[in-house]
Amino acid sequence: MLGFLSARQAGLDDPLRLRRAESTRRVLGLELNKDRDVERIHGSGVNTLDIDPVEGRYMLSGGSDGVIVLYDLENSSRQPYYTCKAVCSVGRSHPDVHKYSVETVQWYPHDTGMFTSSSFDKTLKVWDTNTLQIADVFNFEETVYSHHMSPVATKHCLVAVGTRGPKVQLCDLKSGSCSHILQGHRQEILAVSWSPRYEYILATASADSRTKLWDVRRASGCLITLDQHNGKKSQAVESANTAHNGKVNGLCFTSDGLHLLTVGTDNRMRLWNSSNGENTLVNYGKVYNDSRKGLKFTVSCGCSSEFVFVPYGSTIAIYTVYSGEQITMLKGHYKSVDCCVFQSNFQELYSGSRDCNILAWIPSLYESVPDDEEALVVSS
Amino acid sequence: MSRKRHRLVPEAFGQKRRREGGDVEADPLRGESGSARAAVAELVRLFPRVLFEDALPPIALRSQVYSLVPDRTVADRQLRKNSPILENKISLHRSVQSTADHLTLTPFFSLSSLWRQKALQEQGEIRIIQLGFDLDAQGIIFTEDYRTRVRVTVQLVNAGVLTVRDAGSWWLAVPGAGRFIKYFVKGRQAVLGMVRKAKYRELLLSELLGRRAPAAARLGLAYHVHDLIGSQLVDCVSTTSGTLLRLPET
Repeated sequence: MLGFLSARQAGLDDPLRLRRAESTRRVLGLELNKDRDVERIHGSGVNTLDIDPVEGRYMLSGGSDGVIVLYDLENSSRQPYYTCKAVCSVGRSHPDVHKYSVETVQWYPHDTGMFTSSSFDKTLKVWDTNTLQIADVFNFEETVYSHHMSPVATKHCLVAVGTRGPKVQLCDLKSGSCSHILQGHRQEILAVSWSPRYEYILATASADSRTKLWDVRRASGCLITLDQHNGKKSQAVESANTAHNGKVNGLCFTSDGLHLLTVGTDNRMRLWNSSNGENTLVNYGKVYNDSRKGLKFTVSCGCSSEFVFVPYGSTIAIYTVYSGEQITMLKGHYKSVDCCVFQSNFQELYSGSRDCNILAWIPSLYESVPDDEEALVVSS
Repeated sequence: MSRKRHRLVPEAFGQKRRREGGDVEADPLRGESGSARAAVAELVRLFPRVLFEDALPPIALRSQVYSLVPDRTVADRQLRKNSPILENKISLHRSVQSTADHLTLTPFFSLSSLWRQKALQEQGEIRIIQLGFDLDAQGIIFTEDYRTRVRVTVQLVNAGVLTVRDAGSWWLAVPGAGRFIKYFVKGRQAVLGMVRKAKYRELLLSELLGRRAPAAARLGLAYHVHDLIGSQLVDCVSTTSGTLLRLPET
């Protein structure tokens, strides 16, 4: 550590190197901490979490009872022991609360004045944060499994919505109506994600085992269908061109947008090259997944080797993205974990599970390491 | 003093300082590190050839290779590269999908010995034009040229050495593998049952290997344990008394 500091001081090393080394060291030491707590508001399972991308200070959570809660993650008390309090919440008594379970919440990517939430009651609601009123509602014919708004888009305000029908709908926030439909999947769409690199590239994952990459400006169909066999399997077989051997549950782009991770109910996780759709064949082993709807997992940002945090039953498994090595399993929840988000400024992980708890995983404090016996022998 | 400073830079990436050298006694099964090739050789040695009286070539499973080579991606990469086509002896990977259990096996064997048994040598050399590696069934696709005689291919298919995959491409098959699959599936369930019946559903590896093999595990305890570890049907926990095999909770 001191080596990194002195190298940075002397100008021998890039300043970013120290930052990445320290971030990696902190992520490798994630654990539950008695000093940090998240206030328990939800009365039923927490389905989704999202931390605001601007400051990393506020966290939204959506529950199975339709309740949405907003937490403040910043520690403004002077004490080390801190509970993340709920600032406000859309409870069951709110007139515009979702009728059924909230599946996805997402902050507006450019500021915290607005957020969107989609639910099993076939609606996507756009909320004004300060007044906690609905600004807009989009209604669909089928239950909504997932939605996502592009984090880098400046030229469009499209929200991609995945529903139980096979069509991906794109809703325009500016005009208030659905502008686009992307056809190509055959069963329900379980996850959608915009690329963090290009504002028009969208990835969708469906229960028909296929994952498709779309350019939304193109009318004629998807760009690439991800194929786990990289084209080597016989095309006559029905399972050709599938990303997984079961439903594809979750999608996550790496923070630079060059790779895409998918998890499926065949208990596998695959890493794809997002520019040509090639399966990089990194083997993560068995990633247990029995979720019938989408699984929300996340990738770290700012470490020297990126890590992916995947809910694995009632634990969270951490793998290195590019080598497939399992680092550790974070045990702490009582029931199955549904979602996790990573706060990249402080390298903290927040996870929500069906036991109604949100747990905060904090990098462990630096503890002094016992001296080597060899050094003692040498000195004595 | 200087020794400490050298260690600070890589230490930034690991939370706890790792102690060097042999503090853990070499576990009976876990000594292997290094290439997939060495792992396969080791596994081929474990295969009981007497049981099948040379009717079957030694078969090693891909999950066993994962148990011996800890990094799966590296093992996959080495296994994929590991299909050289030599003069008379071709060693390659191939797999069988068992309908009962959705296993994926990858036997490694030398094809020439098999062909000798089937007395097909007199047909002359079959030139393998293109060998591809099929990820899903993980088999070798053998596509041939029009120049090669169709009659020979038909004979090979009849003998059971080739199975049709698609128009113009075949899988290389192991005739008589049914017996192996039967013993393998039963043996796997038997060894897994030994762990399941233990108190707290966990067993020390050394204790498991020391027990008498159940009658159903005819391929040998070590063979089955490698497969269970590699296919993650049991969790491997390293303790101070050695490796512990525990059934996963999920």
